[in-house]
This record gives sequence, structure tokens and C-alpha cells, in this order.
Amino acid sequence: MKLHTFSLCLFACTACAFDVDDFLDQLDSTLTLSAFHDNFRARLSGTLDLEIYNFEQPAPGLIDSNIDTLFNPRLTLFLDAQIGSQIYFFAQSRLDRGFDPSDHGAQVRLDEYALRVTPWEDGRLTVQIGKFATVVGNWVPRHLSWENPFINAPLIYENVTSIQDKSAPVSPLYFIYGPYYYEKYAFNPVIWGPSYASGISVSGQLGKFDYAVEMKNASLSSRPESWTVTENGFDNPTFSSRFGFRPNQAWNLGLSASEGPYFRREAESTLPPGRDIDDYREFVLGQDASFAWRHLQVWAEFYEARFEVPHVGNADTFAYYVEAKYKFTPQLFGALRWNQQLFGTVSDGYGHNVQWSRDLGRIDIAATYRFTPHAQVKLQYDFQHETTGEGEDNHLVAAQFTIRF
Amino acid sequence: MRRQGLLWLNAICSLFPATLLASAIVEGRVELPKSHSAPVQAKRYEIVTKGGVLSTQPPLAVVYLDGVFPLPAPLPVKEVAQKDLTFVPAILPIQLGTKVEFPNLDDAYHNIFSYSPAKRFDLGRYRPDERPIPTQVFDKPGLVILRCDIHEHMRGLILVLNTPYFVMTDTNGHFRLNGLPAGHYTLKAWIDSRTTREKPVELKSGQTLHVDFP
Repeated sequence: MKLHTFSLCLFACTACAFDVDDFLDQLDSTLTLSAFHDNFRARLSGTLDLEIYNFEQPAPGLIDSNIDTLFNPRLTLFLDAQIGSQIYFFAQSRLDRGFDPSDHGAQVRLDEYALRVTPWEDGRLTVQIGKFATVVGNWVPRHLSWENPFINAPLIYENVTSIQDKSAPVSPLYFIYGPYYYEKYAFNPVIWGPSYASGISVSGQLGKFDYAVEMKNASLSSRPESWTVTENGFDNPTFSSRFGFRPNQAWNLGLSASEGPYFRREAESTLPPGRDIDDYREFVLGQDASFAWRHLQVWAEFYEARFEVPHVGNADTFAYYVEAKYKFTPQLFGALRWNQQLFGTVSDGYGHNVQWSRDLGRIDIAATYRFTPHAQVKLQYDFQHETTGEGEDNHLVAAQFTIRF
Repeated sequence: MRRQGLLWLNAICSLFPATLLASAIVEGRVELPKSHSAPVQAKRYEIVTKGGVLSTQPPLAVVYLDGVFPLPAPLPVKEVAQKDLTFVPAILPIQLGTKVEFPNLDDAYHNIFSYSPAKRFDLGRYRPDERPIPTQVFDKPGLVILRCDIHEHMRGLILVLNTPYFVMTDTNGHFRLNGLPAGHYTLKAWIDSRTTREKPVELKSGQTLHVDFP
């Protein structure tokens, strides 16, 4: 009976969605403008996401909420503009309850804006300036809700560690056993989401190889507030790069590296005497691979990261994930992801070497049904297990409905 | 000598189908909508970006004769290519039952799909050099909207018609339909997904009819 009701609902949604679909196609034409003999073109587009999360406390990843069930609506608007054949501009603005899912009030942000110049048609050189996603790794091109087979990010992009950027730990013990579960937003993951920091990048393609180098105002682990140029200048820049090799269209292999200070300015007074924020850096090495053929897509990323921590020394971590997506029918696809993060040891100050955070593994399973080219619903289940320490588990169930226009 | 000439003429005429010898012609003009806006490619997260702009496809209409016609002999295979991140041609009218090939002529992946009720399919990602070239047989009349799962701006149309008599207009809206059978029919002009105009026509052998769709 329930299956029948569900089928009827799905059919009704699909029938209704086709009417809306035609309207959204017309809207797309209306929101695309051109002038000066098509030398100036602009397109306004967007997504409306309605997300529901149910999880155990403490909330997993970068979800910032004390309640177990969270409703997270988000309106995202994109502007893409092409001026002549060499200049491209884009911007992304969001109205939501915070950059990461939270139970806070509504806010509007300009998350990305960048100007890109491509002097040669073959793409050997592209220069981009503004506030934009990092060039590191291969997750960024699918991090938005329509392209992402999951609702959340891989573990490396959202697992909060003992690293904090607003103040230095007062001792190794505080660093190791600090109350980061209860003040989660004071701490950082290795890479904070797509890392929309401000800066400049140079990229291009030379045969089967491609390259990208960027100078940004904040490290990969830095929080969204640090990404804006008004909040955080270029006194202590972070340099990141990715070198890619595409033997053919199916394969894409890459090596990434990033290096830069991760403390915010307000942490300066908490650093040991005579030291400044430039003395404590985040180093990241990454390897990524992706494969696609017909209805199968597979991605994997491996990251080794080191944080230089005051009073502690080097804190190392290794994280990876393997993700696969398969289209079962034109409208239904499923995805599976295995994530793991392992932590090194640091001295506790009393002659013992102790892991600086708990190892954990997470499996993510998701299914997406596309009603039309403009509407989809996604369901996800995550099971997270700490493989060291107290061995705590966490379950997350999430649903996301997206309309793209 | 004269008798031999008549025999030759008879032999030549027997090579043509009767419908062509006794065929009607319809020509005229369709008032086309204003030009489409030039498409914009979203390149936000592409590390490697090529220069250049996407080509603009002018609006075109399809004019066809609606009616009941005998089933045709095997139909020729048609083609919709993906070239320079666009579908070429942007609109393809075909007869019901036609097989269409989708060659990828770019050096990047494409993923063509359609959720249209007339044909729902997803070809997945395939390389330019892959053989056989992916195909689809279109066995239900209606409009099929082609899209690419990788390049959001790409849009193409296949109009599946239950008639062998159809033609595309030129960019000024002019059309000419040859070889039509005599009789009473409805002449239709498909302009876009929301607009199809129609007019009843009476076709006579050897006659050229002028029909405009304002």
C-alpha cells in the first residue's frame, strides 16, 4: 500500500514537473541576455535546495546544530558573463542559514566572484582573479547540489579536527583532548569545503597535461569568514597548485600541493612569544584520480596534511575517499562513497606519543531521482564509526530537493 | 524513328514513381520568432578553459504535411553531432522509426540525454573514437529535447513526425515542399515547443500552392 502511494506521488510529481519544466526552459531563455552583436552575453541561473537532516549529537561534519533534525533551505544564484572571446566573469550568491548547514537565521552572501582572461583559444594560459574555489583536487567541479551525487562533502572537506585557527592551544593536552565537540565552530577540517578564498590563479593546458597555480589569502583549512579579502588580506598568503594528466577523456589524474599559514589574525596574542602566524603553516599533498565511461563515474582523492601547532609540533593526518556513481536509468542514479581519516601521534608533554584525534571511517550511500532536467530529489544515509578512541558511531539521514533554473 | 522516341520516353517515365509525376508543391513563408539569445557556457569550475564563444543558432521552423500515408521503405540513418559544444544540427525533423546517430566530434566528453515523453534515454559518456557510434531509434511521434549532462547550455531538438513530407525553413522562414500527393490535408508549421500553426490545404497534381504562416 505504501509502495503504491509512493509510486502515485512520484508519478504526480513527474507529471507536474513536466509542466514546470517548460516554464523553466522559457525562464532560462528570458534570463539569458546578449548585446553588441553577441559580443556581450550574460546568463542568470540558480538552484533552490530544500534539505532535511536527521543525525545524532554531536552533529557530524560541519553541521552546526544542537537539534537532531535540521531543515536547511538554500537559494543559490549564478551569474555567468562572456565578454568577447577572451573574458569571462562569474559570481555566486547564496541566501541560506549559513555556509554550512546550521540552525542559524537567514543570511545573504556573495560566495564567489571572479574575472577570467584566456588570451589564446587553445587554453594554454588562463588568468583568474577574485574569490573562487580552490584548484586543489577533483571534488570542486561537483561540489554544488545539482552535480554532487551526495548531499554532503567527502570526509576530508568537513571532518572537524583538533586544529583551531582562532587561538593556539595552551598545551599539548588541551590540543589532544580539547573540547572540540562542544565548540565545534572554533575548530577546522583539513580543507574547508570548496575553499572559496580570494586571490589569483594561473592555469592552462599543454597537450595531455594541465596545470593550475593559485595564490590565496587563506589556507585550505580556513573558515568561510577568512575567505573575504576585507577580512583577511594577503600578508600571509597560501600557495596551492595542481598538475593534471589526461591520457584520454576517460581518465584524469592529478597531483596537488598547498602550503600556507592557517591562523587568523586574532590568534596572534595566543602564540608563543616571538612567534607570529607565519610560523605555523598547513602543508597538504594530494593525489586524485577520476574515471568515467558510459554510465559509470569513479573519483578518488588521497591527502596527506601536516599542521605546525604551537606547543605541540607537527600534527599529521592522512585522509582519502573513493566514490562511485552509476546511472541505473536515465532518471535514477545511485552513489557509494567510502571515506577514512587517520591521525598521527604527537607528544602529550609527559613523554607519551598520543594520537591527536580519533581515526574514523564513514560510508555514504545516496540515490538521486531526476524528475526533469530541472528538478531532482536525493536521499542519503551515512554511517560513521570511530576506529580508535571510544569508538563512537553516528548515523545521518538526509534528503534534498533541488530545482535548477 | 518517331515510334522509337516514344518507346524511350515511356521507358524513362516508368522509372519515376507515380506520386512524383503527379506531385504537388507547397511553398511559402513562416513568420519566425525573434532570434534566440546567444548561449553562455558556465566555466566556473573548469581548471582548463578554452577561449572562443559558442555559436548562435538562428530560429528555424519545420513545415510538414499531416495525414495518413503508407509506411515507407527502410529509412536512412540521420545524425546529430556534438561539435564545438553544440548540437549540429540544432533541430532535426525525422520520420517516425528513423535511427539517429550521435557522434561526438569534440575532444571532450558529452553525455546526451532526453527526458521527453516521446523518447527517454541517456547515452552516458563516450569518447570521440568509440565505435559503433551510439544511436537511438525514435519510434514515438513528438518533440524530443536533447541535453548534455556535462554542458548545461547544450540543447538540441528532434521532431519525430508521422509523415514522410516535411522540410525545414531557411533562416528567413521560406520553405518549399516537393513531391506531395494530391488530396485534402493539413499543412502544419512547427515553430517552437509551444507554437504549431496549421492550415487545411487541397493539393492537386502538378499544382504549386502558396501558403504563408503569419
